[in-house]
Amino acid sequence: MPVFQTKAQADELFGDLFRILAADPDFAGELERHRLTVALVHTKPDVTIYLAPGEVHVDEVPAPPVLTVKMSCDTAHALWAGKLLLPLAVATGKLRVRGSMAKVIEFAPLLHPAFDRYPDLAVAAGLAA
Amino acid sequence: MTMLQTPPVEMTAPTLYQLSPELQALRETVREFAVDVIRPRALANDQAPADHFDWDVVRAGHEIGLLRLVVPTAYGGLGLGELGVAVALEEIAAECAGTALIFGAAMLGQAPVLLSGDPQLQARFLPLFSGDDPVLACNAITEELAGCDLLIPESAEFATDVVTARREGDHYVLNGSKKFITNGRVAHYATTFANMEGEPGATGLTCFVVDLDSPGVVRGEVADKMGYRACLGTELHFTDVRVPEENVVGGEGAGFHINIAQMNMARAAVAAISTGIARGAFELAKAWCDERVQGGKRLREHQFSARKLAEMAAKVDASRMLYLRAAHLADNELPAPVYEPAVAKLFADRAAIEVTEDAMSLMGARGYVREHRMEKYLRDALGTRIYEGTPEVLALAITESLYDDEEW
Repeated sequence: MPVFQTKAQADELFGDLFRILAADPDFAGELERHRLTVALVHTKPDVTIYLAPGEVHVDEVPAPPVLTVKMSCDTAHALWAGKLLLPLAVATGKLRVRGSMAKVIEFAPLLHPAFDRYPDLAVAAGLAA
Repeated sequence: MTMLQTPPVEMTAPTLYQLSPELQALRETVREFAVDVIRPRALANDQAPADHFDWDVVRAGHEIGLLRLVVPTAYGGLGLGELGVAVALEEIAAECAGTALIFGAAMLGQAPVLLSGDPQLQARFLPLFSGDDPVLACNAITEELAGCDLLIPESAEFATDVVTARREGDHYVLNGSKKFITNGRVAHYATTFANMEGEPGATGLTCFVVDLDSPGVVRGEVADKMGYRACLGTELHFTDVRVPEENVVGGEGAGFHINIAQMNMARAAVAAISTGIARGAFELAKAWCDERVQGGKRLREHQFSARKLAEMAAKVDASRMLYLRAAHLADNELPAPVYEPAVAKLFADRAAIEVTEDAMSLMGARGYVREHRMEKYLRDALGTRIYEGTPEVLALAITESLYDDEEW
């Protein structure tokens, strides 16, 4: 059974997660320093989060992103909850990335705060983390 | 000699037939290093005893940045991708494939740490490659009973003979032996693949960063190889080697997927090494055909020789196009593509053997004697066909991809 029953649930949870991250000056500063813009394209249900320094857009991609990350909402849930390892997600094709790999290598460590924040957010949203 | 520079944040997008200005500059710098430093020593290093290792060449390569090509800028590296690596390795291999593999194997040892996305692991190991002194890494996969097929089936009689790991508190304990590990004799650490005890097969394969000066590690015999003699292929023996849990790459059981990802990324670079070997042999033959006069005219004016030279040039060019395409895609897609790197390696490996063989035949007796380096190119070309995917393994990967219609 899918983790997310409605699109609104996924919009809210992933939107909140990245709004918290974007508000973190360290995270925003690193995005700025690396000139990173990222579209996280979630499927089943379809939710796109666009990240730019100081900006988070849900279901709106205002400019072509430097990186595009594509995964299902279930994969994203397992990943951020720490139940699916990033290298495994990539190697098995559950998570796909388009864009400069040098940028991916810079971006991946920036995401670590998401692993810390997500479990509590998921529980608060009524999902088992 | 010019120091390699970190490229600007917005690198010019390369095309398949025109490298970006940044990559052209990289190629020129590495070519200068290859011609000035490697060429004068290539023959001596090739003819030296099997365990001879030329640290001076490594040091000179480190000074221009060759050991930190793929290390992120945050850790003092150049932050280049597969395309930069491949371009550099073609240049080095045009003078000495064994030397190219010293640097290539070091990057293969860096790859799991990069792919892990683990900032702690990266912060502990990647800055090593940006210090004043050269530090090498290696990737320890091959075993006596596991080469092309890394996965020992659970039902195999010898499944218990693989390198194993068991957890003991906050450490893992490794036992077993690895074979043909390039740089194993001289590396600081090895990204070592081991099966969790009692878990043969893909699910138990786990990658560890193992300090090769740890108690219980023995760097064993160096293989006395036919070619690639500048780099050392070594046995590594592990007896109750304790590895801290924070040295696990990507978690228990991630080893198989890390290895597949590594291999798909590495194949473009290995195809570039084959291209370099072919180019080196072609250049020697080309010069020879221009100066050698037989029957009153230069060899290149004889139709049979001209035909050979033209075929050789086409094979070198085609190999390069294929590896550039594969490397470009590997730099822009995760998971790395399977098809294009496998095609590039399959073609370039075969082209290197054909080109060096034709080059030898054009040079006649001079091609057969050691001082002209041609026979070294042929021995090296035969070696490239073996590692990171034999033609048989590549054919399986290519054919499987032909029927894989999964959309991005």
